[in-house]
Amino acid sequence: MKARYGSSPLHLLAHLAALALAAWALLQALQLGGWERIALWLIGAVVLHDALLWPAYTTLDRLARRRRPAGWANYVRVPVGISALLLLAFFPVICDKGGATYARVSGDTYDGYAARWLLVSAALFVVAGALYLVRSRPGSGSSS
Amino acid sequence: MHAPPGPFRPEFWKSPLRGPWLTAVLGSVLLMLMAIVALTGFLSHAAYQPDLGRNALVGTDLPFTTFFDWPTGPSWLYAFTQGLHVNVGLFALPVVLAKLWSVIPRLFQFPPVRTPAEGIERLSIALLVSSTGFLFATGIVNMQYWYVFRFDFVEAHYYSAVVFVAALAVHLVVKVPVALRAYRSRGVLAPLRQGLAETVQEPDGDTVALRPDPPTVSRRGLLAGVGAGAGALLVANVGQSVGGPLRSVAFLAPRREGGFPVNKTADGARITEAMVGSDYRLVLRGGANEVELTRDDLLGLPLATHTLTLGCVEGWSTRQTWTGVPLAELARRAGVAGAGALLVESLQEAGVLRQATLARNQMADARSLLALRVGDADLTLDHGYPARIIVPGLPGVHNTKWVGRLTFSA
Repeated sequence: MKARYGSSPLHLLAHLAALALAAWALLQALQLGGWERIALWLIGAVVLHDALLWPAYTTLDRLARRRRPAGWANYVRVPVGISALLLLAFFPVICDKGGATYARVSGDTYDGYAARWLLVSAALFVVAGALYLVRSRPGSGSSS
Repeated sequence: MHAPPGPFRPEFWKSPLRGPWLTAVLGSVLLMLMAIVALTGFLSHAAYQPDLGRNALVGTDLPFTTFFDWPTGPSWLYAFTQGLHVNVGLFALPVVLAKLWSVIPRLFQFPPVRTPAEGIERLSIALLVSSTGFLFATGIVNMQYWYVFRFDFVEAHYYSAVVFVAALAVHLVVKVPVALRAYRSRGVLAPLRQGLAETVQEPDGDTVALRPDPPTVSRRGLLAGVGAGAGALLVANVGQSVGGPLRSVAFLAPRREGGFPVNKTADGARITEAMVGSDYRLVLRGGANEVELTRDDLLGLPLATHTLTLGCVEGWSTRQTWTGVPLAELARRAGVAGAGALLVESLQEAGVLRQATLARNQMADARSLLALRVGDADLTLDHGYPARIIVPGLPGVHNTKWVGRLTFSA
């Protein structure tokens, strides 16, 4: 059994139990209105990460590191990473995507989100630049 | 059989940081965060009391989700649990991305499946990643009112959370031993003491690079970067949950303006001035009894004032001082003192949340009000004039606005 299956019976039983519960939940979800879109979002989440997000940031990172001294990249990585993360998590408010619904339910409008995101990003780049200047001066110790 | 070129070949992978210890640390942190997010998510499900009246928003429910009465104290209970759900969820986003980065060579392993055990394991991983991505994506766009998904958020989020919990449980069965082995052989915290100069590859593990580049960052540097990203997301949003001066610091939170946000405007709910004018009557029902009260009648009843927090499922909250008639008093007037259930119906003609059913413990709490005033003024139309429910600890939308009828039953 072990040789042919590749692991213990416990491994198999644990997976069968989890898959059965997951299958129940997926079957419920696929009976809902718009089930095609639910399936699309379930698959899309993996595809977007594995085929778009991960290749994009790895490629950018490799380009940024090319022929530069070690340690240089981090001054760019950190502020760009945080800025990109804010955009990823708050894309709807920054790009005014839920604006119409928001106005209808709250009586308010999405104002200044893109501006605040840009200003915070600018501040991050300035701070990182200043740190780089201070730390790269001769005589100052560099850290990890 | 040769692996295709690119990421399917082991020499493609260059980072000297990847390895079982790094994955174990990211996984351990993520486990703690996701335990909070999942627990508060299912608590929110319970807080809607789906077993009462027509409260249920999820069609086919698991049988063990509501085995207790949702308590009424402290009044910020739901604001707290749901604030945790949304903010810890945001905080966890960069940890999820870093965790995926640390194991992504496994996605391209060649051949993809060597044994049936590996096949079933990879299927469960696919479900784990897929449900995680789904939960984060739908949660994030939903809290910002971008209903681009065009399916029922509550049901889809609930069922995918069940998929997530099932897939995570079996992932833990398989991977906790691997993580413990890594902690035992490398030390739990020892690798954190290595600066950039001391950063070398982990000695073994299937995500360790065959031909690594020199390190550009230490492991503690990577973890600090992930933490900085998580912290930035938290600062950008948490003020709308905590309130006070922090609200304006929350520079990307949808509910950063003013201290008393409106969840749904009268316009959005199709409530008109005519519906709440001099013809307005509150209908009180208890058994065969039916009493009609004008707003002035209500103001003539014994009133109580309490400062209570209103927490929204989207993670924001507001704390206000409400004045109104205690629900227990209205139950007595309806002839059902100590009522066991209360069906609250809004003047609003459509919408799933135009009605809600409250439980015995919620009516028994002296702070549960049919509120008429907030602060020093009458409720505004957008906040539910002429009368709205406010029950401590109750999810925001169950504090029904523009109340038209209260039906008490024993």
